[in-house]
This record gives sequence, structure tokens and C-alpha cells, in this order.
Amino acid sequence: LTAQDWREQVKELMSRASRMKEGEAKVMALEEAARLADTHGDLDVAFEVRDALIDAGTFGGFPDKALVAFAWCRGQAKKNPDRFDSSMLLWKQKWVVARLDDFPHVTLKQIREALDDLEQTYAKADAGKRSVLKLRYQTARDMGAQAEAEQYWAQWVEAPRDHLTDCRACDQDDEIDYFIERGEHARAVEKARPILDGRLRCAEIPHLTYGSVLYPLLKLEQLEEARNCHLHGYPMVARNRDFLATVGEHIEFLALTDNLARGLTLFEKHLGWALNHASYRDRFTFHAAASLLLSRLVAEGRETVSLRLPKAFPLHQRQGTYETQVLHGWLEGQAKEIAGRFDARNGTDRFQKLLQRTHGLVNDVRPFPIDVEER
Amino acid sequence: VDHRFQINLRGVIDLLSHHLYSSPGVYVRELLQNATDAIRARQLLEPGHQGSVKVELIEKQDGGPPTLLFSDDGVGLTEEELHRFLATIGESSKREVLAERRNDFIGQFGIGLLSCFMVCDELLVVTRSVKGDGRTVEWRGRQDGTYSVRASEHPLERPGTQVFLVARQDAAEFFTAERVRQLARHYGGLLPFPIHLTAGGRTERINAEGAPWRRKYESASERRRALLDYGREVFGTDFIDSIPLKSSAGDVEGVAFVLPFSPHYNAKQKHRVYLKNMLLSESAENLLPDWAFFVKCVVNANELRPTASRESFYENETLAKARASLGQGLRRYLMDLAREDPRALQRLISLHGLSVKALALDDDDFYRLVIGWLSFETTMGMMTLADYRRTHGTVRYVSTLDDFRQVARVAAAQGLCVVNAAYTYDTDLLEKLPRVFADAQVEPFSASELPQSFEELNLDEREVVFRLLKVAEAALEPLRCDVTVKKFRPKEVPTLYSSPPEGAFRRDAERAREDSDELYASVLDSVLAAAPGSDRPLLTFNYQNPVVKKLAAVADRELMKLSVEMLYVQALLLGHRPLNAQEMKLLNQGLLGLIAGRLEGEDTGGQGGVH
Repeated sequence: LTAQDWREQVKELMSRASRMKEGEAKVMALEEAARLADTHGDLDVAFEVRDALIDAGTFGGFPDKALVAFAWCRGQAKKNPDRFDSSMLLWKQKWVVARLDDFPHVTLKQIREALDDLEQTYAKADAGKRSVLKLRYQTARDMGAQAEAEQYWAQWVEAPRDHLTDCRACDQDDEIDYFIERGEHARAVEKARPILDGRLRCAEIPHLTYGSVLYPLLKLEQLEEARNCHLHGYPMVARNRDFLATVGEHIEFLALTDNLARGLTLFEKHLGWALNHASYRDRFTFHAAASLLLSRLVAEGRETVSLRLPKAFPLHQRQGTYETQVLHGWLEGQAKEIAGRFDARNGTDRFQKLLQRTHGLVNDVRPFPIDVEER
Repeated sequence: VDHRFQINLRGVIDLLSHHLYSSPGVYVRELLQNATDAIRARQLLEPGHQGSVKVELIEKQDGGPPTLLFSDDGVGLTEEELHRFLATIGESSKREVLAERRNDFIGQFGIGLLSCFMVCDELLVVTRSVKGDGRTVEWRGRQDGTYSVRASEHPLERPGTQVFLVARQDAAEFFTAERVRQLARHYGGLLPFPIHLTAGGRTERINAEGAPWRRKYESASERRRALLDYGREVFGTDFIDSIPLKSSAGDVEGVAFVLPFSPHYNAKQKHRVYLKNMLLSESAENLLPDWAFFVKCVVNANELRPTASRESFYENETLAKARASLGQGLRRYLMDLAREDPRALQRLISLHGLSVKALALDDDDFYRLVIGWLSFETTMGMMTLADYRRTHGTVRYVSTLDDFRQVARVAAAQGLCVVNAAYTYDTDLLEKLPRVFADAQVEPFSASELPQSFEELNLDEREVVFRLLKVAEAALEPLRCDVTVKKFRPKEVPTLYSSPPEGAFRRDAERAREDSDELYASVLDSVLAAAPGSDRPLLTFNYQNPVVKKLAAVADRELMKLSVEMLYVQALLLGHRPLNAQEMKLLNQGLLGLIAGRLEGEDTGGQGGVH
């Protein structure tokens, strides 16, 4: 390693990161740049780098790193309000607050305070309540506070847009979840239509949407379209661990349509993400879906499967032969453990119910082969 | 009889020019499209009919705006069809309807003609249909919305269509011989029938013999030269190679050109695509698989559906299949290169390593063939994986830049070769190795493992350093850092700070907590409490280092403690570890202490102090 001027190094790392796809390598390059700037005590460069790190962490599947970078920037901006341009920080605060409930070790009180703080911060920036209302609705829903969620939902969809609200594609996609949650599958798909038709899109839409509509389409018996959504949607999410939960939705779909081999391919490819993902919410979705997949194999009478699982997997076998019962037990155990932690924190039984939903899915199995010639 | 359009023609023209067309110059494309459709329709009736298009620029003697005559020997129109296309125009006031109408012959004819009003105020169409009684009809339309249809006083000898455009004053730039030639070549360069341009008394053929990839060549090298010339003409780039492309899905054929420079990591290459030999777009993106960003291509597709904006292809099953088989062609090229010309493959990898890596990740056969040729950064410099495995056997790698930097300072001196797999795809590629080659050994390496490979002290040395060890342990306990003494190369390095992979993130989070406000500091506390990384970092003193040897013999306990703290801070800084508040305090106090000690030494005649 040459002792090149550290500023040059930071510049090189930043420009390399800006050319990279979302993901771990990009996050690492920016972390490295931030450490260099810190070591040399240059607050302005450190701020600029972390500003980019919040984005990279958020969209590359490292919400914990985004949180740390945000907390640092926020501290600096508060101490030196005139020194940094914190207008973008305002926008990014939403991303960070939206993920807080994904960490079971963050307390209810902290989540509530962060939401209140966001509301006040946005009020000072002369923004309306639409963004905060959506976050309050989503947080309440994900923590199992149903009545509260209903109340915020009603307020959110009526609140006017302003300069800090999410883009139309994101808002539309978030509305879909409400109807899926209520089991109103036809309405969910209807809401998704402008996105599926390509009329609304953004950096993460339709990537997320293709995953969310799989189950509703299956329930509506629109299997042909569901299959297309899987085929178009999976490649969009296959390379970015930010989409771990969406990958879970694809696995669930493959299990339900009896495409078990395909499901296993996804499972072995993405288990590594789930093992150390900072979002326990996303880990839960993945593990629950994977346990459904394994339960299908067990039900088919398969005693063992050959899989190429990462070394970090606690039950890793060098020869790659796994007992389906054992794998299923482990996955189910993971999902249960996470569910327990969330429910204990939230004081509700939402995750218990989500587990029950997964168990009940055996009744939705509807074999539908997905074979397209890839090449 | 004079008629009046039943619609607001201005509105339609406005819609066309603002929403459907990028430039008024596309009127040439639309006329060529009409001629092509007409010729194709006639070929259906008369197989063997070759077809041709003539474009004539008629300059006015008085210097007034010129007239362009555009004629084809296609199927022609009957009077009834003429009326039908007018009706089409009436319905075409919406963009979606316009796009829809393009799919039928008459609809396209009308919409195509309307585009001419972007450059002229009056149009004369003279046409004689292959069908019917052989009468010649003419249609004269004006921009104000009036038109007339009548039997022509100058009947055509053969079936076909002539369109006369009188240039509008402000559009004269689109009516020079140069511009018309350029536009016709641009849009119709691949058309399989001759297009002749007559201007200033000269007639020339302006399109060559069909697509360059369909022509016959004397030899492979001539073919290569011709295609590369074509690539330069189209994209203005000197490509390094060309690759044939073909897909039965979508009936696609063309050529891909290998870029002579490394594109951006996530660059989407813009390709030039023709639909049924007419230029569709110069910026189509969705034609090749994601990994294939090392080429730009020119293709013609006969059975892919264009999007409404006609800028790219509609994303459907056929396109997905076509994309897969075009990708297959590129893969075959790379496979052949690996087998037959490894040096060329290496040159290609040096430019387009990322494309190659992305494909290798997804494709076991390809992986097997190229993985050995890929270069990786190691603690002993850049080397290919094949070279690495030949010399070092087990592949050891680190997945973070932070780890690599920690390891790099001493690993090479220990004879340890470790791959920096922090770059895009590298970790995944290395982990794939034992799955593809059963005999391969691959192990993740961590900086915290490094001290294990260092030489232990002997019994006497242990006794000598014991006091230093105890003092250092006490000094670094508040910083939650463990201590050991070993011998390692290079001897210039007094200490090595190593931490488990999560260690760096922990330190980042701790420092962010110090700098943040109360709310987020408490959130970070919760995150830190649950984060992995209970393993503490380790400071390894190097007993080969002269300063460390001297330090072990220092009698003054305070001085020893101070020196340990300073070496700790130095180790952090050398490893690019930013200091937290506590460490910063150590640094400041330590510097002052050392200076004070040195000054006291001056007073008392030069005792003590550290060099």
C-alpha cells in the first residue's frame, strides 16, 4: 500500500462507490472513506462521505450502518447548524426511522421518540404530515397495534403531498400492503396495476411490488400473471440484500406452486444474507418462507437434500447433504426465536400470528410449473 | 371536391411533434416506413417483386423553397383506402391510439404522412393501387385542415405512390441534399431494397447492400475488418472485436462490438436497434443480459414488439428469450476465447473483468473455464487465481478493505499471501471455487488470526517481557484491548492492532454515539448492546522491534505505561482507525507527558525518555 495523500484516497473510494451497484462492496468503500476522513479529523469530508453512506446502507441492505452514519451526521448538524447542508439529511431521516422497528433490541420508547422527533423536525421544515403519518401507520402495523394502524392509515391516505413525501411509486406500493394485510387480494392487485403496467416506477419499484403481489395473485387464481411477476421480479432483487424479504416472498410463492427445486436454488443462494442481516424483520420473512419450503419437502417424503450452503451456516456440512427435517427444524426455530423477541418488545402477538399464517399456507398449495427455457 | 378534416389537425400535429417524435427529421423515417410497408404488401401479392424507393430533390429556379418527391413501387392505395386513412387520422388524437394504429398498414400510412406537416404546409399524394381498376388518385392536403381527393390528370404508369412535399420556409434545413441523404441513410441504411437520391442532376444509391453482417466476405479477416469499420461508423469508437448475434426468438440478428475501455460498473450500454430493417432506436437498453455491459450492439429484429414511444422493445416473454440467446452468443464467444486464445481473453478481462466475473458467478461451465485467468489483489501484489493456487495451495481471503489493510502491513513479510476479496463479486467467486473444483481449499481469513502465525517468545524472553505485559494489560484494560508479545517481521513494525471483522463497525458506532444527540445515542446504545463482536481487539507487541526491546527494559513504570499508550494510539492511526474521545485524550496527555519527561531529562542530565 502506498502512502498516497489521504484526500486522494477518499476521492478514489468515493468515486469507486458512486460507480458501484448497491451492495456490500459499495458500503465498505464508503465506510473506509469515512474512517480515513475521521482519522484526519476532516469534518466536512466525513459528513459528505457519511451522507452517501446513509444511502448506500439503506439501499444496499445494511440498515444498521445507515443508522450509525445518520446518527453521526445528525449530531454534527446539531452542533454546527450552519456548517453542513443538512437538507438531504431531513429526507433521509425517514429511511432511518422507518427501519428502527426492524431491530428488536431498539425499545418501544425509542421508536416512539424517534417518530415524534421526526414529526417535529418536519414541522420545522414546513412540511405536511403525510410522511410521518405513513411511517406511524407502517410502524403501528408492523408492531401489531391494529387500531392505531387503522387510524393512521385513514389519516395518511388523505393527507396532501408535500416536498418531503415519498415518490408516487413508493406511496402506491405502500398502499398495496394495506390491502394484502386485510386479505383484500383483488384490491391489492388493482392498486398494483399502474406499477405492474410500468406506469409508475422508481429505484425500488416495481422490484418490491412483484414480490408482494405473488400471494394475492395466487389467491385470485391468476397463476399465469403470478408466474410472470416471479420471472420478471426475481432477477431484479437477486443481487441486492436489501431485498431479502422480497426474496422470501418469491420462495414462499415457489413453495406454494410446488416448484420446490427452484425454491431450493433461491434458498441456498440467499441464506447467507439472512444469517447476518441487520433487519430481523427481513430475516423473519425469509426464514418463515424457507421453513414453509422445507416443510413441503418433508411432506413430499424427501429425507435429504443436497445444498450448497454458506460456511457461516451453523449446521454447515462440507459434503452438502442435509436432512430436511433438521433443516426445517432449524429454520422454524429461527423464525420462532425472532418472533418471540419482536412480540416481547411490541407487547402484541403479531409475529405469533404471522407464524400461524405460514403454517396455514399448506392449504393454499396450488401446483403450477414454472419452466421457461432460460437459454 | 374539397373536404375539410373533421378534426383539429393542428392538435394532432402538435401531439406528434411534441410527444411522439424527437425531431422534425423523422419525417424521412415515416416516409421510408410507408414505402417499406407498401413494398412488403406488394411482395405478398407478387413474390419476386424487388421494390425500390426514389427520392428526388427539386430545386426552384427562383430560389424559393424546394420540393421533395418521394416515390415507391409498392402496393399503392385505392380511393377507398385513401378515405379510410383520413378517418384514421380523425381517431388519432390520443397518443395510445396513435401507437396502436401504427400496427396496421393504413393507420401507419396516415400517421406517417401527418408527420410531414412538421416540415411542410402542403402535401400531394399521387397513388395507383395494384388492386382495382388501375386508376390514379391524388390527394392534396393542407395544414389548415382542408383536403381534396380527385382522379389525377397525370396518371402513373405503374402501381406505386408518390409524395410531394413543398418545404416550409422555416424548415428549409431539412430539405438540403446533404440532410436528406444523411437522414435516409440513418433510418433506412439496412433496408433490403435500393434507395436512390437524385439532387442537382446526380443520382446515387444511398444505402449499401443490406446489413453488413448479412453480406458475404472473401475471408474471415476481411469480414472482421468490414464489421469493425461499420462499428466505427455507427458508434465512432474503435472497438477491439466483433461478435455475431442471433436469436430465433424475436428473429433477431446483428453484431456486438467489444468496447475498448472499461465501462462504468453499472453502465447500461445503449444499443442501436432496427425493427424490420428500419431504425427503431439508438438507445435501446433492454436487449442483453445484465452482465453483458462490455459490448455495444447493432441488431435487427423482425418479431419483437416496440414500445409506444418506439425507443425500445416491449418487455415480454419473447424478449426474455431473445435476450437469453443473445447472451448465449456472447458467452460462446468468451468460452471460445478461453479455449483458443487465452491471451486475448486476458486482455479482455483486464478491460471487462466485471462482466466476466458476473457471468462466471451465474454459470458453472464458464466459471470453470475462466476463473484461473481472473486477477485478484493480494498481499503479494496482483496475481491470477491460477498463479495463486500454484504457489500457495489454500486460497485465503479477507472480505473487507479494513481487514485487508490490517493484514497487508505484515502478511507479506510473514510469507502469507491473502486475497483482498472486498471488491464486487470477489468473495462470492472465491467461495464458489470448492463447489466447482472438488480439490480446492478456500478459507476466509481474518486479521485477528494473524498473530497466531507469529513466532512465540522463548522462555528467557518471556521472563524479560513479563513486566511490560502486565503494565500494558493494565494500561489498555480501560480501552478493552488485550495484549500479547510475539516476534514477527518486518521488525520496523513495533505493534500490530487486530480486531475481529465486526470490530471496525463497533468502533464506528461507538464514535457516532459520542457525537450524536441524546435520542440517537440511546438508540445506538441498544444497537451496540445487541451487536456481535464481544471478542476484544488485540495489540501484539513485536519483540523483534528495537523500541519494544528497549521498552521492556525501562525501569520507570509510568514511562512504560505512557509509552504503551502511545504505541497503542500509533497502531490505531497506522491502521486508519479513527480515535474516540478517550483515545484522543490519551494522545494529548501522552504527548505532553513525553515532552515533559524529555525536558526533565535535560534538567537532570539526560536520564530516561524514549527515543
